[in-house]
Amino acid sequence: MITRQLSFSGLIFLSIYTLQESFINQVRFPGGSFSIFLIFALVWSALSTPEVGAITGFSAGFLIDLSPSSSGPVGQWTLILILICFGIAFLGFGDDKSRGNPITIVFLVVAGVFLAEVSFLITGVLLGVNLGSFTQILIILFGMSIWTLLITPFTLPIFSRLHAFTFDTGSRI
Amino acid sequence: MRYGGGNRSRLLLIILIVSSLFLITLDLRGVQVLDGLRSGSQTVLSPFQRAGNTVATPFKNFFSDITHLGRTRNQLEQLRAENFNLRTKLINRKNADAQLKKYKSMLDLAGTGDFKILSAKVISQGSSQSFSQSLTIDAGSNSGIRRNMTVICDAGLVGVVKEVYPNSALILLASDPSFRIGVRIAGTQQIGILSGQGSRKAVLQLIDNQTTLSVGDVLLARGSQRNRPFVPGVPVGTVIAVDNSAGAVAQSASVKFYTNFSALGVVAVVVGAPKTDPRDALVPAKPRPTPIPTITILVTPSPSPSATK
Repeated sequence: MITRQLSFSGLIFLSIYTLQESFINQVRFPGGSFSIFLIFALVWSALSTPEVGAITGFSAGFLIDLSPSSSGPVGQWTLILILICFGIAFLGFGDDKSRGNPITIVFLVVAGVFLAEVSFLITGVLLGVNLGSFTQILIILFGMSIWTLLITPFTLPIFSRLHAFTFDTGSRI
Repeated sequence: MRYGGGNRSRLLLIILIVSSLFLITLDLRGVQVLDGLRSGSQTVLSPFQRAGNTVATPFKNFFSDITHLGRTRNQLEQLRAENFNLRTKLINRKNADAQLKKYKSMLDLAGTGDFKILSAKVISQGSSQSFSQSLTIDAGSNSGIRRNMTVICDAGLVGVVKEVYPNSALILLASDPSFRIGVRIAGTQQIGILSGQGSRKAVLQLIDNQTTLSVGDVLLARGSQRNRPFVPGVPVGTVIAVDNSAGAVAQSASVKFYTNFSALGVVAVVVGAPKTDPRDALVPAKPRPTPIPTITILVTPSPSPSATK
């Protein structure tokens, strides 16, 4: 059972990561673009237990760190996403009302993306990464949050079905 | 019921956090394994990026084109009427023509500067989630590209080769916040340091506080020792605003890069540096004002009615 869950999860993670790196990154969106992979990782965590959320955060963060266009040291995104994904899973777990409510999940994902980016900025400053002008940072932060808000409702049903299929759970959004 | 956590989940969380801190420490200490992992991931991803680039080409700049929609609305309406195949062919042809034009301009620039270049296609733009500005090209160490080579386009400086993989290379764009380059002002030869700001604008800090800057001054790459990472003479940008604050130690200015980083399709890596410094030979020509034609109207007075009678 666990082998099936791991292999399906791994395959889905790698597919969406490849989609992000090879296709989404090619298109220039106004105001900072969005990360379908980040949205996926946060939705996956919001639907999972805190343990799975933390492992999701670790795997997703490590894959983002491996991206050649990632500017920080390997481990920076891993650390951030472990905490954010665990937090999101922890907030939703056990409360079926919030886990079954798409609006709550969309809100959690948007907040998660915003928090992840802010955390990346803060840890980046601590690790000595140059981040650019304040205006540019604000544009990317708000642009990314708005894109996430627009994209998540469309991707949520797909990710929810993939999650239900992988973990053999009946509940879908 | 709210999840109360447990020893197992706390232990797992701690293990994962410690692992990530361990990774950060390894990376900051420059352990080769992690570089190898990044290199491996790029090698695996580059065929997908090439495929993605082919698929995304027709609508790559769709969103930036939207901002100019008013200008191109008529053209778009005409295109809508055509069938899908014809439209795809037209877009591909346009793309090829634009690339050819860029190649020609790049060759002109390289020829004037006596640079030996290797042209390459952009196969991926860096993600903005990490606030960095980079792109990936379809040529790597197998084509002779090495780290710290200058990258140019038809307009001027693009950036520098940051990482090289067998069949692709990662370019750090000049607009990246961590990017620094020594520049000199064409004509006066004063030198300064230009820093990327995450957009098409950059900040120039002059080294000599006696120097005066003016809007419109052209900046050229000063060149590095042994021409790496920067070959001399490459056009970088133009001064668009000068900061004249009285308390400043050295004069600073806002600079606009010649290169439009969001519309890069083809670039050239300088694989061979010029034997002599091209000096100001690569300063872009100023646009010539279109002459306004003088229209002279000659009016011949018609004979008065009384005279005809």
